[in-house]
Amino acid sequence: MRILIVEDEPDLLRSIAQALREEGYAVDTAPDGEDGFYKAENYDYDAIVLDVMLPKMDGWEILKRLRKIKKTPVLMLTARDQARDRVRGLDTGADDYLVKPFDLDELFARLRAIIRRSANKTTNIIEIGETKIDTALRNVSLKEKPVELTAREYALVEFLALHRGEVVTRTQLYEHLFDENECSLSNLLDVHVSNVRKKLGADFIVTRRGHGYCIE
Amino acid sequence: MKIFNSIKWRLQIWYGLILVVVLAGFGFTAYQLERNRQFRRIDDELQRRVEFIAKGMHRPPPQRGSNDGEHPFDQPPPERFSDNGSSEQNQKALRDFLDSPQAQALFDNNNPNQFSYAIYPRGGIENAIEPQHRAGWWTVDMDVDDGKSIRVVQANTLPDLGKLGTPQTIGDFRGIVRRLPTGEAIQVHCTIAPELKELRLTALKLAGFGGIILFLGLAGGWWFVSRALRPIENISAAAVKISAGDLSQRINVAETESELGQLAAVLNSTFARLESAFAQQKQFASDAAHELRTPVSVMLTQAQTALNRERTAPEYRETVETCQRAAQRMRKLIESLLALARLDAGQEVLKRLPFDFSKAVSDCVEQLKPIAEERGVKIISELSPLEITGDSERLAQVVTNLLTNAIQYNLPDGEVRVKLESQNGLAVLTVSDTGAGISAEDLPRVFERFYRADKSRSTGGNGLGLAIAKAIVEAHGGMIEVASEENAGTTFRVRLPMT
Repeated sequence: MRILIVEDEPDLLRSIAQALREEGYAVDTAPDGEDGFYKAENYDYDAIVLDVMLPKMDGWEILKRLRKIKKTPVLMLTARDQARDRVRGLDTGADDYLVKPFDLDELFARLRAIIRRSANKTTNIIEIGETKIDTALRNVSLKEKPVELTAREYALVEFLALHRGEVVTRTQLYEHLFDENECSLSNLLDVHVSNVRKKLGADFIVTRRGHGYCIE
Repeated sequence: MKIFNSIKWRLQIWYGLILVVVLAGFGFTAYQLERNRQFRRIDDELQRRVEFIAKGMHRPPPQRGSNDGEHPFDQPPPERFSDNGSSEQNQKALRDFLDSPQAQALFDNNNPNQFSYAIYPRGGIENAIEPQHRAGWWTVDMDVDDGKSIRVVQANTLPDLGKLGTPQTIGDFRGIVRRLPTGEAIQVHCTIAPELKELRLTALKLAGFGGIILFLGLAGGWWFVSRALRPIENISAAAVKISAGDLSQRINVAETESELGQLAAVLNSTFARLESAFAQQKQFASDAAHELRTPVSVMLTQAQTALNRERTAPEYRETVETCQRAAQRMRKLIESLLALARLDAGQEVLKRLPFDFSKAVSDCVEQLKPIAEERGVKIISELSPLEITGDSERLAQVVTNLLTNAIQYNLPDGEVRVKLESQNGLAVLTVSDTGAGISAEDLPRVFERFYRADKSRSTGGNGLGLAIAKAIVEAHGGMIEVASEENAGTTFRVRLPMT
């Protein structure tokens, strides 16, 4: 899962980014509105955390422009807590709204929720055969027994599971699993895929040669 | 009693009372006038008749030189009643007198008042007044043919007319008693029943009219008072809604000319000012909360991230440093808010001491030089030595705020000019920068609390610096103004009284 955070307060930006990375997300950051909109326009993020008050271009403007081209789930983050601001945010196309100061756990939960909704899922549990993925607790079990996965491996499983039945290209996987600062070495992805197959069964991830990977 | 607390009712009651008094006074006067008119007519008639009989009965002796011309009657007067003449003689003389045509004309009793007459011999009247002496007095009861009659009724049926000379009313009768110089007394009286009846009718009519006028007056008064007081009802209805918290309510002012209309207009403008003051207060509180939210978010996120798992010492250190920065920011904000609140409430007691303002400005410049150099901004100062009276610390804060803005919003390699001079007895401090300037749209609002031209927190200020500067300058009786040209720079000018 790759997430963009647009926030002009550097300390806040840094700490949210760190917290989300530790949760296993790939995180990109933007310190102002223009940079934020540029990134949002050019990458397919799984979710965007967007501050309202931003230099150069404010959150409303970014949202308005983005909604013309993309359906990326957006979580608005603002210090304004009046109902009319919330209504405006939701009406402009925000998927959710969080008022500062917030609890990190709530931010995580709301992010999970908007990502889940954008993938048309209604619960945190995804069951594939005898494998069960809990996106809230971020764990995977096979035949009721927990399976130890690294954060990156889990992210790979979760992304493929959310796009079950679709063929996910290697580029897509790179875009969603690694952030802008990581160099995408092609064999890194192969290593993660083979590790997951070892843990969840060789058939769990199907390779479509020339296209990408798929969970059926 | 609610009814007596109501202005409407009180007005109505007073109004009604006054109307009743006026109408009663008017009615009573009218009644009295009518009554006097009627009585005067009757009295005149009584006097005329008594006079006539008196003249007829008592002719002054010719040897006294009495002039016939003064006597109204041409015909020879009847024989004078003799002082000691017999009753028969007197009666005879009276009869002759009464038979005269003048008497007949006078006694033509086709008069609704039915005049009656009694003639008492000498000394008789005193006794006649006493009822026990009445019986046995002679009376003349004479009927004249062809409807003209004179009745001299029995003395003992006469009403008691105790007082002599003036007409008196007893029951339905009015009469007069005249004593002649010779000792006889003449009484003339008549019934005044028709007049009394007429007066009663008049009284009834007056009462009726009065009642109708009172009713019309009260109804009209009620209508008028209700109409006049309607604005008050509007005002109180609006005031009730406003006190319930709806500050957007206004009184509907239909008639702006009347006193109440003016009151309503004054109240409306008061309400408008209240509303805007409340709105400003609300906005200020919301802005202050907003400013606190960001540093709190930083601390919360930092702390929660750090606590999620074991961290290394440098990581903890970084977390603590970030939290400290956020806390410092909150402290600055709280100090600014407190300073503003005190200046607002007038609690900030300014020290008013003379001090060297040029020295204070140059100290501020020195303090900020490192920050300016860091940003590649040059400060050029041109300070004339100037001593003013005021709070040196607060004014230094103004200078620092202006300089910090000038440095912060400047371009790299830009410059800040600080000039202090005296103009027309005012100390004028000018701080100009070569920064990006402020747009015409933002310019009028730069002194507003929490107003930021750049809409972001990236420059680190809290949006209160200029508001505080303005409050301090104004507390010193000075003024602050700003001029700016986009992409050329901004100039702040502070004018302070020297003493």
